[in-house]
Formats: sequence, C-alpha cells, structure tokens
Amino acid sequence: MKKFLFILIIACSTGVFSSAQTKDPLVASCVMDIGDGAKYLKDFRVQLGKGTGTEDLRYKAHMSLWKSTKYRFTLCNDESSKGQLIINIRNENNDVVASSYDAKTGKIYPYIDFVCNRSGIYQLCFDFYEGESGLGVGVVSMIR
Amino acid sequence: MKGKLLILLIIPLFITYSCKNGSRKNDDFVFPENDSIPLSEVGMLSKEAIADISKNIASPVEIANLLLMLEVPFSPSYLASGLDANQQSTAYDKALALGILGADLGYLNMYEMTGTSVDMLSSIKKLAEGINVGQFFDFETIKNLSINKDNLDSLLYLSIDSYNQIDEYLRANDRGHLSALMIIGVWLEGQYLATQVVSDYPDPILRDRIGEQKIILNDLILLASQYCDRDPQFKDLCGYLEDIKKAFLEVKITYTLGEPVSEERNGGLVVTQTETSVVEMTDQQLGDIIAVTKTVRDKLITNN
Repeated sequence: MKKFLFILIIACSTGVFSSAQTKDPLVASCVMDIGDGAKYLKDFRVQLGKGTGTEDLRYKAHMSLWKSTKYRFTLCNDESSKGQLIINIRNENNDVVASSYDAKTGKIYPYIDFVCNRSGIYQLCFDFYEGESGLGVGVVSMIR
Repeated sequence: MKGKLLILLIIPLFITYSCKNGSRKNDDFVFPENDSIPLSEVGMLSKEAIADISKNIASPVEIANLLLMLEVPFSPSYLASGLDANQQSTAYDKALALGILGADLGYLNMYEMTGTSVDMLSSIKKLAEGINVGQFFDFETIKNLSINKDNLDSLLYLSIDSYNQIDEYLRANDRGHLSALMIIGVWLEGQYLATQVVSDYPDPILRDRIGEQKIILNDLILLASQYCDRDPQFKDLCGYLEDIKKAFLEVKITYTLGEPVSEERNGGLVVTQTETSVVEMTDQQLGDIIAVTKTVRDKLITNN
C-alpha cells in the first residue's frame, strides 16, 4: 500500500497519469500486488469475450524462462470482469507444467510461483474461468 | 520371392519407425535447419509472429538479477560508456544504442547505482526523442524513482514498460526494423555483460545461462532476417549474428524429464519443475562465445 501511494504521488507530481501515454491502471495496480522482493518482468493484458468454456485457453503468448530462476505469475481481474483470469504454462512439448486452476478441487489461485529448472520458450495460456468474458492482467516477475 | 517381398516391406517400415522415434526424442536442442523458413518467406512473418518473438527475448534485468543473486560486485567497466548519444546520427544507430543503453540501465537499476543511471537516462531520453518515441519514456518519474532507492519494483516496471511501449509503437507504425534493432541491442549488451562477468567469476549457473542463449538466438536471427537487405548496416548486423550463432553451434543442451511438484503456500501455488535442462559447453566453446560477443559488441559501439 505504501508503495502504491508512493508511485501515485510521484506519478501525479510528474503528470504521468495526466499525460497522453497514461499507464494502464489495471497493470499498474497489479504490479503493486506482486509482493515484496518480486521484480517485474512482463505483463499480459487479457480481454476476451464469452467463449464456450470447452475449448483450450484462448489467449496465448510465448516467453523464455530460465533455469535457476523462480518466477511469479500474478493474476489480476478488472472490477468489471465477469470471469476470473486463469493461466496454464506449457513447455515446448506442450505439456502443462503449471496451472492456476486446480481441476480436482476447483480452486483458482491468484498467483503461481514457478521454480524453473528447464530453460526454454514456454507458452503462457490465459483465459477466464469456464470461458467467461472478462478483462484481466497477468504479471510475470522474478523472485530470485 | 514372398520372403524378399516381406523384407522389402519391412525395411522401409523399420526406417520410418526409427526416424519417428528420433524426432520424438526431444532430448537435445539443435538450431532449426537454415532452410526451415526460406529467406523469401521471412518477410512474410505475420505481425503477431514478430510480436511474439519480440516478447520472447529475455528481459535485460534477468541477467543483472542473476549477477546480483550470485553476489557479483557491480563494475562500471561493463557499461557501454563509450557510447555517446550525441554522436548517433541515423535512426539505425539511435535504435541500436537505445537497446544497448536499456540493458545497461537494467544493470544499474538492479544494483541501485542511481547517480550513473540518471546520466544514462539523459542519454536514453535523447536517443528516444531522436527516433520520435520520447513520449513513451517517463523520464522524470523514472529519475525520481531511481533517486529513491526504496522502490526498485516500481522503477523496473516503469523502465521496462517504457521500452515495451516503444517496441509496440514502432512495430505498429511500420518501423519494425527499429524495434528489432532495439531488441538486438538489449540482448547483445546483456550477453556481453554475462560473458565479461563469467571471465572474472566463473560460476556454473552463469556459464549455463550464457550457453542457454542458443535457445533464443535463432529467434533473434529470424527477427533481424527480415531487414538484412534493407541497407549495408543491417547486412553487417545479420552477418555478426551469424558469427555469434557459429560459436554456439557445438554447444549442446539436453533435457531430463520429470513431473512438476506443486504445493499450496500462503494462498498461492508453488510449482517446482523437476525436468531439467543441461548445458554441455567446453571451455573452448565458452571462450569463443566470449570473444565473438565482445568483438561484435565493440564493433557496434565503435560504429555508433
């Protein structure tokens, strides 16, 4: 919260939020939620209409992840979002190596800490739970 | 006759099976064949594919973070201090320099070297304005965050996000060649930093990270390939990337399989990957990579 206030004060005093190139407030607030010690790397803004809920996760992106690094994937939803953002991380063999949704328990986790031991290009697949429409952000950060 | 016919039928089947098994093995990373994407078709890569490749390339702060984690002390000697923003005349020079200094800024920010990073910000501002993308860089905010050392995550976010916005803007406005230059500059400077440090601090994790760059090098070359015939400077750059690729050819990356292990912790999910990648790289191969990286980087800095 302290950090959020600080960046808000700095941003307001320098006119960032009033400039033409305003930072996406959803991304900015999600970055504030990544936790102490986490270092921001990338963000993925996901906006989807209603799907069937039976298809693969619809928003796909690639990202290189490196061995001996602990990544955090934080998922945030816009207040107006009907659905809850989920993520699957797939390796180069298309195997799911991590998922924020546990099909057995039905639990959706707000973040995944992924201890990477295989360097490679991974596929990050996002969607809203049960193919619902929504707006959300996935922020990738490093913990160590 | 029937026996011969049977043998003739079985041999191709056996060969086919063996080949399939070989291709499914997936335990060794090799560069895709040079002709897998004909050069004539490289220019037809979709905007989405280019955007995807651009996002693949590792962030410069990852190398800096690794150095910090390994407790490698900061050294200004690794920075591209000889690169003068005022001397960059063409858009090519400016975009490449913007990438190189972006990686240096990540290194400075990570080590909280605020005094130097403020100077570097001025150079970055000049370069960004030189290619008409200065509006995406929140210089004052970044400068203030840089001076205040308590907000490293906000500083990293604003710095990286500014670069991401520049990259997206350039690609969306048919100036993808400048975006490619920026990305190549960032990667090259990060690789230069890692290879210089490993000479003084031969840590196995850092050594592996250098060898693992083979994984994304081909994407980087693919990104540049679209513009190789654009002008002589780009042609040289494509040649330099090929030189780097040659140094990586014999580096082997193998994989061991394993199922990820998950556990719930503090409301989140912690997943530990048990499959691993293993880099096989001789001292000679590493030496060649260090040498070619330095040669290319120095050429580009001097050209600038």
